[in-house]
Amino acid sequence: MPVPDLFLAMMKEEWRMHSTIFGSLGFALFPAVVAVFAFLGSLTLPLFADVLPYDAVALLAHILFLLMGVMVGSFGLMGREFMNRRFGQASLVAYASRSLPVSERRIFGAFLVKDTVYYILLYVLPFAAGFAAATPFIGLEPGLGLLAFVSLALAFLFGLSVVCFLSTLYARSVALLAGTAAVLAVLALTVFQLGAITVSAVLPPYAFFLDPKVEPLAISLLLVLVPAAISVLFVTVDYPDRTKRFANSLDPLAERLRALGSAHFIAKDALDLLRSEGGAGKVIFSFLFPLGLVWVCLRVLIRFIPGIDPLVVFSALLGVISATIYNWLTEFDSFTSYAFLPVEVSEVIDAKLKSYGVANLLPLAVLVLAAATSGGAGTFFPALAAFASVSAYTLAVTVYLTGLHPNVMLYHASVFLRYLLAISPALLLSRGRTKWQAWEMPGY
Amino acid sequence: MGVRQMIEADSLTKEYGNVTAVNRVSFTVTEGELFGLLGPNGSGKTTMIRMLTGQVRPTSGSARVMGLDAAKDPIGVRGLVGIIPEQETPPSFLTAEEYLRFVARIRSLDNVDERCDRWFDLLEFGDKRDVLCKDLSRGTRQKLMFSQAFLHEPRLALIDEPLINLDPIMQRAVKDFLREYVQGGGTVFFSTHILEIAEEICDRIGIIHNGRLLHAGQLEDLVGSGRHLESFFLDLVRGDAGA
Repeated sequence: MPVPDLFLAMMKEEWRMHSTIFGSLGFALFPAVVAVFAFLGSLTLPLFADVLPYDAVALLAHILFLLMGVMVGSFGLMGREFMNRRFGQASLVAYASRSLPVSERRIFGAFLVKDTVYYILLYVLPFAAGFAAATPFIGLEPGLGLLAFVSLALAFLFGLSVVCFLSTLYARSVALLAGTAAVLAVLALTVFQLGAITVSAVLPPYAFFLDPKVEPLAISLLLVLVPAAISVLFVTVDYPDRTKRFANSLDPLAERLRALGSAHFIAKDALDLLRSEGGAGKVIFSFLFPLGLVWVCLRVLIRFIPGIDPLVVFSALLGVISATIYNWLTEFDSFTSYAFLPVEVSEVIDAKLKSYGVANLLPLAVLVLAAATSGGAGTFFPALAAFASVSAYTLAVTVYLTGLHPNVMLYHASVFLRYLLAISPALLLSRGRTKWQAWEMPGY
Repeated sequence: MGVRQMIEADSLTKEYGNVTAVNRVSFTVTEGELFGLLGPNGSGKTTMIRMLTGQVRPTSGSARVMGLDAAKDPIGVRGLVGIIPEQETPPSFLTAEEYLRFVARIRSLDNVDERCDRWFDLLEFGDKRDVLCKDLSRGTRQKLMFSQAFLHEPRLALIDEPLINLDPIMQRAVKDFLREYVQGGGTVFFSTHILEIAEEICDRIGIIHNGRLLHAGQLEDLVGSGRHLESFFLDLVRGDAGA
């Protein structure tokens, strides 16, 4: 089966999967919502220009799309789970490798191309179009819209290809992944310690947006193509070839969590997370990795915005990102499996919230670590308050809008719009709060 | 002392948009009966079981199960009865034993060890108790679903396609178990499109097609009249389709 045919079949499947869930109109409107949001957001840029310069907004947008690439990649590509979960259950094309002579490499290649085209059409193009439509009203060159489309697409693909690369390493060998991660961490730390960290070094697509020359474009393309090519060439998809056996852990774990109530549900959530492919690695991919990027980028961002407290801003973003833990907690449940038992939906959601509370010890530890290493002890408690309130608020919005199905419902145009409208004021409030703290600090 | 009605369906109707999945169906199932609801694929069998167990609210009509209104007290109904849904699989990342213990905790059962051991022994899958559900064969998953439905020793079981995915040996064991269960005072309502199963173990049958109940009656009356279930079923369904 030629790759173009695979690609077309996957595109149709992806569209039909989403449109079946949300209705064709509901899903077709999703890019329109993104475009309108980008247009309206761009119109407000002059209002905030003295606090948030255009360059800083551009950097935030590139970080956002980088993270989207990471999310899309890590969501679909969890090493061995790639074929079983993503393809095996959700995509008929997956069966091509089982019933027809189509190699996994070919399927994976088509999958990458499909994700590239599909999500650029879904996210990047509407965002850039909304921004381009606003440029005449805010005194910017209309050509910036096209430039933004290219550089944001590169940022998205950078995130996607890096995650594909890491997941291929993981599928080959956990030790190889750990070794690579360690080398990258040491390199990053060394560069950071030397003070050689620059915007271009962190995010070449952003550098291309600021200065559209061949060099940053070439670096960006290399950062996209090389990891993607390696991941396709060395992809391996292990079908389950051994039976996993575990002693009963549900009861002992539930016993330890008894004080929380709904302990057996929380214990089940924990076992789902730990035993599903990737184990704790999922958290690294979808949580710690984006957070690390946010932290590094914030260190750059503070150069543009005087008076900002990076720890408090980081803690607010930490709160938003930590709410995605709820997506993981609902990822492995088939809720029809509760429908025939004497359990209320509200009871399951209640247990999920408790699981979320327990899982939030991880972002809390990250916050403590960030405060300790950045010398931000003085603002730790405001940062803690910002983290806790944003995390709780974002979770409440997610649960209210998506119930037990955040992984699919957030793609519904009206749900996503309400989500954005609900979350954005909280972040703005958090930013304003940061400014207030800065003004009150003597000597700032 | 009168006969106890375990299920009373009164003009049950379920519409999905323009499609009427179940159309004004009324019947009763009495205690100690093994009732088989027969029908082709898509005839409304699964929707009927979902309404009887409060998983789906009827558009009109009502269903009382063990004296409880299934629409008003679905949790109460599901607490009393045992249910095996069609094509439902247990949670992927629990082992077989953990899943039974999970269900036992939801149902607040005691003597969990004994209950689990009994079903592992009866359905002969004790060697799989520590295997993740996602790694179990379809047949073993069905055994597990069977076990969870009877773990609390319900007096009424509602089963959607009871023998699906089971090998012939286990099919025999399940059929024998269901007969023993009914002889011991239990009641079974099950749906199937495999007529041989109904012919072998049912006391009473209902035949549903296009959401309408075309027939309900004692199986022995049919046998007594010299008719085979298969020809009776085909005549009814084809006649309804041509009507």
